[in-house]
This record gives sequence, structure tokens and C-alpha cells, in this order.
Amino acid sequence: MASIPTETAIVEALIRGDRQVFAALFRQHNAAMIRVAVGICPSRAVAEEVAQEAWLAVLKNIADFQGRSSLAAWIFTILINMARTRARVEGRSVSFEGERDNTLADAFDGRGRWKDLPDLWDEITPERILGAKTALEVVTAAIDALPPAQKAVLILRSQQGLEPAEICAALQISEGNMRVLLHRARLAVRAALDGALR
Amino acid sequence: MLSCKDVSERSSALIDKDLPLWEAMQMRLHLAMCKGCAAFVRQMRITRSLTAVAPPVSPDDEAAMAAILARLDDGKTQAH
Repeated sequence: MASIPTETAIVEALIRGDRQVFAALFRQHNAAMIRVAVGICPSRAVAEEVAQEAWLAVLKNIADFQGRSSLAAWIFTILINMARTRARVEGRSVSFEGERDNTLADAFDGRGRWKDLPDLWDEITPERILGAKTALEVVTAAIDALPPAQKAVLILRSQQGLEPAEICAALQISEGNMRVLLHRARLAVRAALDGALR
Repeated sequence: MLSCKDVSERSSALIDKDLPLWEAMQMRLHLAMCKGCAAFVRQMRITRSLTAVAPPVSPDDEAAMAAILARLDDGKTQAH
């Protein structure tokens, strides 16, 4: 079995201009980068351009990567800064603070008890998750519909595996706010699944 | 005693193991007695698992990658 290259080995390969290593890294992150940038930029086309610019910046500056964060966190920080700059140029201001809509606002009575008990979701069990294509489609659509900060936090934490501190640094938000955004994002995805299953 | 609303608000922190020990114990006590909250936390766990395995569809990786490498080569050519 081929061993997974260490991050140092990946960085060294990128500095040497190893295209296979770049291709693997690109396939690992590019789609998620576009997904994050779409929420910040005015259109998908602009988000794809920004992702391309971010990759160029990564390749040109890879020798400066000092390993103070993971490589993925470094790449996403570059992407998010570029996406925000581009949004500002196009007259869009994206704030990552204050996205605190609550999809459970009406779920409880005055004493904080469930008005209607949540469903057991017997149709999806953890064992069957990988086969649940419809559920995955619902999840994908729900993620794409999230506000930018919730989407960024959910993708970076749950799909790209960045550490909380890395996400806070990339988005310039507090850890408390990051946890709220992650929770709100999950609530929205949960609500979409619940709606699809009923 | 936590209300169901309190439990729902702490559900992400519980499944991410981010709660202080005492709060986690209070949550588990509530969950042992409340079917609604137990179902809700199960939903949140499933949501987390599904999110992790729902990767975005990449548009056209090969073309995008070729465009980046071509631009990088252009830059190097111009620099020399």
C-alpha cells in the first residue's frame, strides 16, 4: 500500500514543481474552495476565478509556508482573503460575524420543551449513510444554501478537518462565534434532512 | 435542570466533545429521560456524519488545473 506523504514532503514536492503532488492536492481541496468562495463572491464564475488565483498564489509562495498551521489552513486562508478582497472590489461586503438565525426558534414551548418530538429518522442509520444517495443530495443542497460564514465553518471543520483555531484565524472570528456558526449550520442541514424525510 | 431547548443548543458541543464534564453529565442525564432530545441528538450525529461524506462536486478539475499550470508557466517565462 502506498504511504500517505507527510505535509513536509508535500511542500517540498510543490517547491520542486512536482505536478502529480499538485494534482492530488488540487483534487483534495479545489471543489471545497469553490464552495466556500461561492458564498463570499457575487457569483460562481467569480468564485472559480478566485480559487484559481488562490492556487496560483499557493504555488508561487509555497516556499514561504512555514508550517505554523496545516497546509490546508494556509490554502484556505489565502482563498478567503482573496475572496473577501474580490467581494469588496465588486461592492459586496461579507461579514462573518452575526449570522445567528435559529432554525429551531419555534420548536419549543414557553418552558423550553419540544412542542413536537423530533422524529427518530429510522430511514437513515449510520450504517446505511454511505448508501443514502438521496440524503447526501439533500445535505449537499442544504450546505450550498447556507449563509457564507456558516458554510465556510461547516466545510472547513466537518469536511476539510481544520482545527478550530485554524478556522478562527482564516475567518477572523472568535472561537465562540465559530462554534455558534457550526451549530447553526448543522441545524440548517438537519432541518433540510428532516423536511425531506417527512 | 436543563430544558430541551438548552439541550438542543448544546447538542453540537456534546457530539463534538466540547462540553465541560459537568455539563456533559447534565446532558446525559436529560437524554436518558427525554425521548425527544435523544432523537434530536441522534439526528445531529447523523447530520454530522452525512456532512462529512457529502463532498462537493468538482466542476472540471483537469481543465482548471491545466489553466493554473499554464498561467504559472507563463509567469516563469515572463520572469526570465
